[in-house]
Amino acid sequence: MSLLELKNVSKIYGDLKALDNVSLHVDQGEWVAIMGPSGSGKSTMMNIIGCMDKPTKGEVLLDEVDISKESSKNLTDIRRDKIGLIFQQFHMVNYLTAVENVMVSQYYHSMPDEEEALEALERVGLRERARHLPSQLSGGEQQRVCVARALINHPELILADEPTGNLDEANENIVLDLFAQLHKEGTTLIVVTHDPEVADAAQRTIVLEHGKVAREVINENFGK
Amino acid sequence: MLIALLSIGIGATILAGLVTIYVDVPRQMGAQFRSYGANMLILPKEGEILDNDHLAEALQKIPQDELIGATPYRYVRLDMTSRQQSFTAAGTDFTQVPKTSPYFSIEGAYPENTREVLVGKSIADTIGAKVGSSMELTYQPTALSENLNPEESRVPNAMLSGSAEGFGGGMVYVSLKLDENGTIASLEIDAGTQTPEYGGRASEDEAYLGQFTGKTLPLSPDKDIDALSGATVTSEAVVTAINTARMTEKSVKPQTMNFTVTGILTTGGEEESYVFLSLGDMESLTGSGQLDVAELSVSAGAEQLEAYADAITQDSGTVRARLVKRVTRSEASVLEKLTALVFLVTLVVLLLTMICVSTTMMAVVSERRREIGLRKALGASDGSIRKEFLGEGLFLGLLGGVMGGILGFVFAQVVSVNVFGSSITFQPLLLPITIIVSMAIAALSCLLPIKRAVAIDPALVLKGE
Repeated sequence: MSLLELKNVSKIYGDLKALDNVSLHVDQGEWVAIMGPSGSGKSTMMNIIGCMDKPTKGEVLLDEVDISKESSKNLTDIRRDKIGLIFQQFHMVNYLTAVENVMVSQYYHSMPDEEEALEALERVGLRERARHLPSQLSGGEQQRVCVARALINHPELILADEPTGNLDEANENIVLDLFAQLHKEGTTLIVVTHDPEVADAAQRTIVLEHGKVAREVINENFGK
Repeated sequence: MLIALLSIGIGATILAGLVTIYVDVPRQMGAQFRSYGANMLILPKEGEILDNDHLAEALQKIPQDELIGATPYRYVRLDMTSRQQSFTAAGTDFTQVPKTSPYFSIEGAYPENTREVLVGKSIADTIGAKVGSSMELTYQPTALSENLNPEESRVPNAMLSGSAEGFGGGMVYVSLKLDENGTIASLEIDAGTQTPEYGGRASEDEAYLGQFTGKTLPLSPDKDIDALSGATVTSEAVVTAINTARMTEKSVKPQTMNFTVTGILTTGGEEESYVFLSLGDMESLTGSGQLDVAELSVSAGAEQLEAYADAITQDSGTVRARLVKRVTRSEASVLEKLTALVFLVTLVVLLLTMICVSTTMMAVVSERRREIGLRKALGASDGSIRKEFLGEGLFLGLLGGVMGGILGFVFAQVVSVNVFGSSITFQPLLLPITIIVSMAIAALSCLLPIKRAVAIDPALVLKGE
């Protein structure tokens, strides 16, 4: 069953076609990597899938709803309810502790629940670091808190933008293991990356070039 | 954030301070103006007499807390025994004088006991009086004085004498004796300065002189007396001299009392040529407790004063109240200007506060751009971003308002003590008002920064910023 479907999507800034007639679909529970050099349209695609931008042309169906024509207020609601975001720069609120950062996401979604937030931190192995401020956490730990934050509201789709871009290899592996675990539990994952190793962890890789889908690679070794 | 809090705090301080001063200033200014003297007079109505009872009745029309002082005065001419000199003496209540005439400057002290007097500087200089010296004062009742009881002008067997200007500037002198009924028993006229064959005959003409016998004082020239033929001016002078005749020592004994000078009064005004004594002594001397005027100092605005004066004049059969317009008018105009000034300064301060808070909040928004973007990416709606910043602004306003409310009172107190030399009463209502205004100002100042915050694109967190 298709969770996300892009139909002939274009995003045009003046003369520049950031996305040029792109079509793709992602099934429920699928783990997809999007690769491509800078300027290939990765960010634009991520913004559109993440309900933070609208395409100039085409349709974007998320959970059978066309999000390409929604108002920005509705997009915010959809993003909050269906999408968990993970960023390259982690982006934690620097005056809040780890558990509070997770609770921020709960706060905008429904109701802060500290117990649930602590459980989410436990899943990423950071329960004992719950009361630490971001400045007291390593980069890997921060990114794990962000994973906990992304999954706290049980989103349909986790959208990660270069999630390991600022991490060393050990932490990269921890994060990828977490993704694998989420995938096993049935969460749909879209990971934007330029790191072939990260892309290799996914089931399928979509390569963008000049705003177009250049090719798709199915990972034969997935799960092995 | 601290800067925004400070600016709101300072704004609120100035606001609360100015409003406190503004509320308190009419009272302060009132007191200041009261130092320029009385602003209301109580006088007897035409043909009526003012006394202590009438005055007390009139004073009930003015609330006690607004009445600063009410000083009764009675003016009488007294003679100084040691010199052949007379001057105006004022009987008054020395406990009230400093309240209605705070500008009186006294060398020595106000009299506290009977037989003590306060002497005006110019009199003291003339007679060489000093604090502690004694002086003898004589009250010479005048037969036809307007102030005198009409009965006293018909004292049985009184001897009277008087004078008036006759024809060609020459004086005509009269001396007369009253009988047991107080009517004229005999009359002598000295008209030696008048033309012998006309006015000069007044002292000899039996028919003319005979007319006066049995007449009651005062005389009316046309009705009671036929003029001496060819000497109208002299005849009129005779009547005037009789009507202004004073009792001689033989008839009504003048009252003489000894006084001790307790103070010398300097005012720069006519009061310096008066002698002040207590109303009690004045009554002992003259035998009458009548008053001429009462000076009131009332702490109220021009309109309120007018209302009090009207109430007194309408409700009393004997007294009327009059405003000292010069004082009440200048008071009103100064207050009006002050109101405008306070309003303007407050407006400017509030505007500056708003600009400062707005700028600071703007800086806060751009400083927290990424966090706001993140919050939006995590699902914060525009409404919740608005709420957060508005909440922050209102909290700032609350803190600043509380701070300003308290500091403002201190500020007002300092200003009041330094400028007006008196302390201020705390206005309990001002604290909540200051807090509400501060919160409103803070909220208003946040509008633009909030707009900026709401406009932040959540996608910025995705870029490698």
